[in-house]
Amino acid sequence: MSRTTDVRAIRETVAAVPDPELPAVTLGMLGMLHDVQVADGGRVHVELLPTYSGCPAIAMIERDVVAAVEALSGVTHVDVRFRFDPPWSPDRIDAMGRERLREFGVAPPGGPLSDAVEPGTRRTLPIAPAASDSPRPCPYCGSSATTRDSLYGPTPCRDLRFCTACQQPFEAFRPA
Amino acid sequence: MTGGVRGAAELGVDLAAPRSQVLLAIADDALIGGHRASHWTGVAPTIEEDLAFSTLAQDGITQADLWYRTLLGENATDEAVDALAFGRTPDQYRNAIVCERPPRDFAYTLARHWVVVHVDRLRLTAMSRSSEGDLAAVAVRLLHELRYHEQHAAHWFDRLAHGGDEPRRRLEAALEQVLPESLGLFEPVDGEEDPAARAVLPGGHLELYPGFVEVVASQLDAVGCAHLLPASVEELVSAIPSDASGGRRGRHSHDLVEDVWPEMTALYREHPGARW
Repeated sequence: MSRTTDVRAIRETVAAVPDPELPAVTLGMLGMLHDVQVADGGRVHVELLPTYSGCPAIAMIERDVVAAVEALSGVTHVDVRFRFDPPWSPDRIDAMGRERLREFGVAPPGGPLSDAVEPGTRRTLPIAPAASDSPRPCPYCGSSATTRDSLYGPTPCRDLRFCTACQQPFEAFRPA
Repeated sequence: MTGGVRGAAELGVDLAAPRSQVLLAIADDALIGGHRASHWTGVAPTIEEDLAFSTLAQDGITQADLWYRTLLGENATDEAVDALAFGRTPDQYRNAIVCERPPRDFAYTLARHWVVVHVDRLRLTAMSRSSEGDLAAVAVRLLHELRYHEQHAAHWFDRLAHGGDEPRRRLEAALEQVLPESLGLFEPVDGEEDPAARAVLPGGHLELYPGFVEVVASQLDAVGCAHLLPASVEELVSAIPSDASGGRRGRHSHDLVEDVWPEMTALYREHPGARW
């Protein structure tokens, strides 16, 4: 059997799959990868945590993960399961994911990053405060003079904010 | 009208079983409520409310999908979920009649939304104590997501209650209409006393009512509508208006039979198995 059926290589492959709606970040950065199991004969079982129960991209994510893992030699079958235990929360987004979201114009939960984190390492930040008091610095100018314009945004996992300093509307990853 | 789902033979589960019946009630409330929320897509009073009700529609339909999958267990193929959602005849739906009522005006929509988020909170909290681990995990996840809908509903309740005479009058009129109808949400399905149904929804629907009164009574009192709430479960049962009762047993109004159901199921009936 090929070496690529070792769990670590498959985990890396799944973690590198981009989010279809936020292509700047990967499933790994978002903290969506829960578990990978490999059975005899190259059968791979992947468990993911959806960022939102009503995420319409779930079917696309499943398709992309299956395609990426099937391309590895030695893999004969891939199935993906979305599970809710443990529940995904924004504190699972790693440091690089937060930075990429910010560059993409989506304010990440947890506020600005205070120090650089080496690629590949994972740092867990505190759970974001409750929605009603979850201020976000502007992803464009960094000002904290921002307001929430709408509880609902273009996807179920984002809301709408406005920066009174640079007069830019922006989106924020929801706190829950 | 097509024959609908005939049950075990087609889906691998017994839809008449108490566990199925209570999950259908929960899923169908979400499906039909979500379908009604979608009315506002493109025509809501503001762009923010357009986004809000479009999201509520999407959430309702997705939550229904999750509960249909829970009901079907290992038989939960996409085709089976569609068959449950769209392949049943109107008398096989178990949603409360209040969910199938038309949007009427925006005040009625907001008042119904306000009632439903409170009932959702109580029901999901009970389900988070389910002995079925996967089901409890879904309920916990949905409780997290419900917070936004609760903030949205509370914001509008406040805004209408304290926004001057006209909004206040509209809110009161809406509550006078929606609250008696909403009592049908607390009606049990047939067999809800069964341990398999109790495992899904510990306590059952009727037992959610005292918690509901506790949470909403003071808010309703502030707008002079507390008198619309029966004081106890015993009074509740006799206070449900006859035209808002029976949804949990498949007795639905024209609003479902001649409006929501034909529209919602049109594609499925025309092209069974169609995929986007």
